[in-house]
Amino acid sequence: MPHSEMAAGDSQSRSFAARLKSEWLLGDRSRLARLVIVALILATAAMFAASIMTGAADASLGNVLRWLFGVEGAEQALSVRDRIIILDIRLPRAVMGLLVGASLAVSGAIMQGLFRNPLADPALVGISSGASLGAVLTIVLGSSLLGALFAVFGFYALPVAAFLGCLVTTLLLYRIATRSGQTSVATMLLAGIALAALANAVTGVLIFVADDKQLRDLTFWGLGSLAGANWTKIFSAAPIILVSLAVVPFLARGLNALTLGEAAAFHMGIPVQRLKNIAIVSVAALTGASVAVSGGIGFVGIVVPHVLRLIIGPDHRYLLPASALLGGTLLIFADMVARTIVPPAELPIGIITAFVGAPFFLWILLRGRSHMGL
Amino acid sequence: MIKASNLSVRLAGKQVLHGVNIEAAAGQLTAIVGPNGSGKTTSLKAIAGELPYDGTVNINGHDIATLKPWQLALKRAVLPQSTVISFPFTVREIVRMGLSVGAKAGADETDRIAREALEAVDLSGFAGRFYQELSGGEQQRVQLARALCQIWDPVQDGEPAFLLLDEPVSSLDIRHQLTIMRLARNFCARGGGVIAVMHDLNLTAMFADRMIMMKSGRVRAAGHPNEVMTDGVMEAVFGCAMRVNATPAGSVPFVLPHTALG
Repeated sequence: MPHSEMAAGDSQSRSFAARLKSEWLLGDRSRLARLVIVALILATAAMFAASIMTGAADASLGNVLRWLFGVEGAEQALSVRDRIIILDIRLPRAVMGLLVGASLAVSGAIMQGLFRNPLADPALVGISSGASLGAVLTIVLGSSLLGALFAVFGFYALPVAAFLGCLVTTLLLYRIATRSGQTSVATMLLAGIALAALANAVTGVLIFVADDKQLRDLTFWGLGSLAGANWTKIFSAAPIILVSLAVVPFLARGLNALTLGEAAAFHMGIPVQRLKNIAIVSVAALTGASVAVSGGIGFVGIVVPHVLRLIIGPDHRYLLPASALLGGTLLIFADMVARTIVPPAELPIGIITAFVGAPFFLWILLRGRSHMGL
Repeated sequence: MIKASNLSVRLAGKQVLHGVNIEAAAGQLTAIVGPNGSGKTTSLKAIAGELPYDGTVNINGHDIATLKPWQLALKRAVLPQSTVISFPFTVREIVRMGLSVGAKAGADETDRIAREALEAVDLSGFAGRFYQELSGGEQQRVQLARALCQIWDPVQDGEPAFLLLDEPVSSLDIRHQLTIMRLARNFCARGGGVIAVMHDLNLTAMFADRMIMMKSGRVRAAGHPNEVMTDGVMEAVFGCAMRVNATPAGSVPFVLPHTALG
């Protein structure tokens, strides 16, 4: 490369960085946020591809892509066994990781906006337990008392039940923790513990009365992993997740205003009650659907939005899409680690997210105590 | 013109306002004063539309109960007493939230308004600071800049817009008290209207066109500060015999706590 050209490219990149920095100093993080979102889109695509290639059976990216896109002759490059592994095992796992990770991170971000507190998380405040209860109810009572649920919803019954369990818990929690527009963090966390304990107790009773076949179903369902990913599960949960994710961008401006308080949000022209209703239903749908297909996976909903807020700020117009991307990427990555770290066995993915997430949560707590009304 | 007629409010089973009438004209700074717990802030909240109330509140002839939140947001902006935020927003991001209401201005336009609003509250150079790291008085001024952005033009489509301020100078130093009161006067001079809940009687007398004196959920006196700030009203409302004086140069009344008898 000629010397002058190199210098020009160099100064151009420096001026872009300089512009970002001067905007940062002026409190404007919108360009940085858009840049981060583009980077996350690329990272998600890369992680998705890596996840399809990684594992006990080797498959080169080129061959896989050529085959998936139907390039002539590519089929011969892969053995039948490899093709089955990719199409029926790795691909659904990656898709599910993406959907579940995005759901958990986005529902965490929405809850934190709704409760006006960075410590709200579906798994921490008992909402996931509500979803589990809904799911366990359908597994155990689906053939008897709740047969109608299956009759109406078919294979959507499990995510729908988890969604309903989730919705009831979220509504209860919001009623308990929020009084005249102010959310008490202490009440929220403590009420979350109580609600989770209650939901777990009922779940325990159901497991106690379950028969052998139901126990088997429960065990497979409750592993809290993507190991059971298959296309049937994806098709049952994906519509709920995708519809909810499509609604979420419309909440961004309202959630921004809500950080100043319910009264201030109303002053700024936000229909607060409607915003809260839509936010609660979205959280319930996203958490419910992901718990229904993968069990409870903790800490994604709290770690992802928090890391992003440190970089691009709390503006929900950027935070929500970035959370979806980073959540999906992280869960695909965690799943890759889970299934390759102790081959041929698999670690439940919940262990990995907890190992990363729990210390992180404590760090947030210690660092931000003064800002969170604790 | 804001006209609140026969406002009654019950909070937690207790009657807080008893048939209050408050009028605030465009071009005027209307101050609501009175002792603690006299219903000043409750009146302002009812006028803002954030509390359930009996009676009617009209802005420019529209009953606010019939307006949608976004329509109301274009006619009035509100400065609450204090705002705690648990997310790391920068000052610029908070101020720009005020500009997200109504018609979308261009990026350059919003930038300019946000900058001018920060200048108006004497916070130029604070755009990049984190809201949570500011002092109480600075946070209050950021919120005022945000409210100003919401109704940047004091007259919109031929209708005056109103600023509702709940103790706008309560945590400010004396220089910024004057800055903010002048800003409010300037908003009135340009055709808008201001209703401010105030504690400092002397500052109010200096800047207000109308003074509404409340006690125990009722309006006890209303009119020009000269008419309202009298020895008789002071004693009746505050239960404290004090002598009201006037500045030598003009007719601005003032009252010193030193004159309290017993």
